[in-house]
Amino acid sequence: MKKPSLIRNLLLSLLIPCTVFLVLEMIAFAKGVRLFANADSWKLFFRAVANVTLTTFALSINLDSGRFDFSLGAVSMLSATVAGTLAQQWSIGPWLTLIVAIAVAALLGLVHGGVYVLTRIPPIIVSLGMALFFEGCAFAYTGGKGVSLVTRTDIIGFSRIGNYILVTVIAVSLIVLLFDYTRFGADYRALLSGQKIAVETGIREVGNALGCYAVSGALMGVVGFISLANTGSQQMSLNFGSIGIMFTAFLPMFIGGWIGRYINKRVGIMLGAVSMALISLAYARFDTASSVQSIISALLLVLFLIYLNNEYAILSRFRKKQEIKE
Amino acid sequence: MGKQTWKERIPTFASTLGLLVLIAAYYIIGAIRDANVAYGLKAVVNQSVVVALVATGAVFIYTLGSFDISLGAATGVSALLGAMAYNATGSLIVMFLVCIGVAVVIGFINSSLASVFNLPIFVTTVAMMSVLSAFMLILIGWNGAGDTIKVKARDVRPLDNIPFKVSMLVAYIALCWFIFTLLPTGREAKFIGGNPICAKLSGIDEKKLAIIASLISAVGIGLGAFLTIVYAPTLNKDTASSIGMDVIIAIVFGGMPVSGGPRSRILSAVVGAFSMGFLSQIMSMLNLGSGFGQMIKAAIFLLVVFIALGSQRSKLLTR
Repeated sequence: MKKPSLIRNLLLSLLIPCTVFLVLEMIAFAKGVRLFANADSWKLFFRAVANVTLTTFALSINLDSGRFDFSLGAVSMLSATVAGTLAQQWSIGPWLTLIVAIAVAALLGLVHGGVYVLTRIPPIIVSLGMALFFEGCAFAYTGGKGVSLVTRTDIIGFSRIGNYILVTVIAVSLIVLLFDYTRFGADYRALLSGQKIAVETGIREVGNALGCYAVSGALMGVVGFISLANTGSQQMSLNFGSIGIMFTAFLPMFIGGWIGRYINKRVGIMLGAVSMALISLAYARFDTASSVQSIISALLLVLFLIYLNNEYAILSRFRKKQEIKE
Repeated sequence: MGKQTWKERIPTFASTLGLLVLIAAYYIIGAIRDANVAYGLKAVVNQSVVVALVATGAVFIYTLGSFDISLGAATGVSALLGAMAYNATGSLIVMFLVCIGVAVVIGFINSSLASVFNLPIFVTTVAMMSVLSAFMLILIGWNGAGDTIKVKARDVRPLDNIPFKVSMLVAYIALCWFIFTLLPTGREAKFIGGNPICAKLSGIDEKKLAIIASLISAVGIGLGAFLTIVYAPTLNKDTASSIGMDVIIAIVFGGMPVSGGPRSRILSAVVGAFSMGFLSQIMSMLNLGSGFGQMIKAAIFLLVVFIALGSQRSKLLTR
């Protein structure tokens, strides 16, 4: 069988982000605006790439293993709250605050994973309980006031394009390294494709699950810090007010899955996040109302899923038409 | 098969027992704190009845092994359009019919999208939730009366009483129980939830059942929307926003497996919804503050689910 060429795979993996970019550029041209008009546009774009990429990784690490996680937003909120408060009390700099946020979030992920493996309650239910618990913790910790760092110019100054790129590249590299080139990653993939056989061959499922929750948590710690540094504050939410962040990750996750057929899945997810970030930038540049944004994003998700779930039928119909023409 | 020991029976009754314990705790704490227990009880019913209505219908969807996160947004849109219909016509019957009708249309779109295009139901409902939440903002904008849509409180006051709400809930539960227990629909839904491949091979039409389940659930959403207007006639973008998650919590709290199947029960939704209502009321009586209150609520929720799981835990991690 002929092996698909590297160039073909590269072109196919860039198809979605490039198409999204071209379509948006055309709309921008028709509207008489430029997508990347100034430094703020670039900043918004790279911030969106960082946030969406990391959130999508955090979601997909567990979701691919059948573990749905509603608590991602709550982990991000609580870790940013703790890190922000400590930054205020101890006057620590932005990078150390980021490390604290990552450590706290990884610990929260570990606690979540611990509850899951100890109780054996279905993961989606545990995540509901943990989301409520973490939201409650953040609220109780700050007395509902949240965290304000508006006077900390050093932390707010973290919001720079270079930092966003650095954080994203480091996170993606570590994720690729961990899941594609280590024993942990090999075990993860084995458990993913055959849980029972993998466990019977001696793979430690519990340790692997705990690791996944900790990594997922750590990624959300970065997301929480980026948001804290960008706005200079962390607002509190109760009653599942924090779960919205998770929904931004669905479209890039599915796009990443499709691109993953032609290139490393992790890189695919990043390219999916780039596509999503372009769309977010376009919303901002075109002054799109938030309600219209929600409807367009939802429609894009549904249309892409319709294609994914009916791909074979659509392609075979297309091929039949081609054959008839020929 | 041997007789079950009491230890083995505990999980079956854990949720009902949990509700009884919460009711007892409510009265004991109320007596110690010298709280107005009767007033609190009214608050519990008012809070729980809408969740119980929506959750009872949702049991049909969950029994199939499906999942719907857009129930809250669907309730919100139905309530907003119902209120707008009332303001246009001044008729409570029209308001009632619009609430039910809108919910049925939303349910039909949801289930048809998933069935016709083979979409994963959860993601479809996530998308639907975004669309409906955005639609609520658009509706409020169209109405042109600030950030709210109002129905005159005095017009709906005659219906804002416990007997009316409870009788509506009882009637809907009776209807759902009849369909779920005595008609083939319920048995087929449990079969699909328990073993979808076997059910399909036995000739059960999964798509048809998914649409029926959504339509039954839509009636509950419509009733919930109607009672939402009756209880709080000033509606805004956050109206019923938490119901979607409350329903999931109520169903699980009530002892129903989130994976659906033969262990599904109609009454789980009611038990769960009222358990959550009593728990919230106990938290406010104890004056613990919103944060600590929610932490304790989460811990109790996980504990009840843990007990209800009983000996069903497998060696492998559940997925």
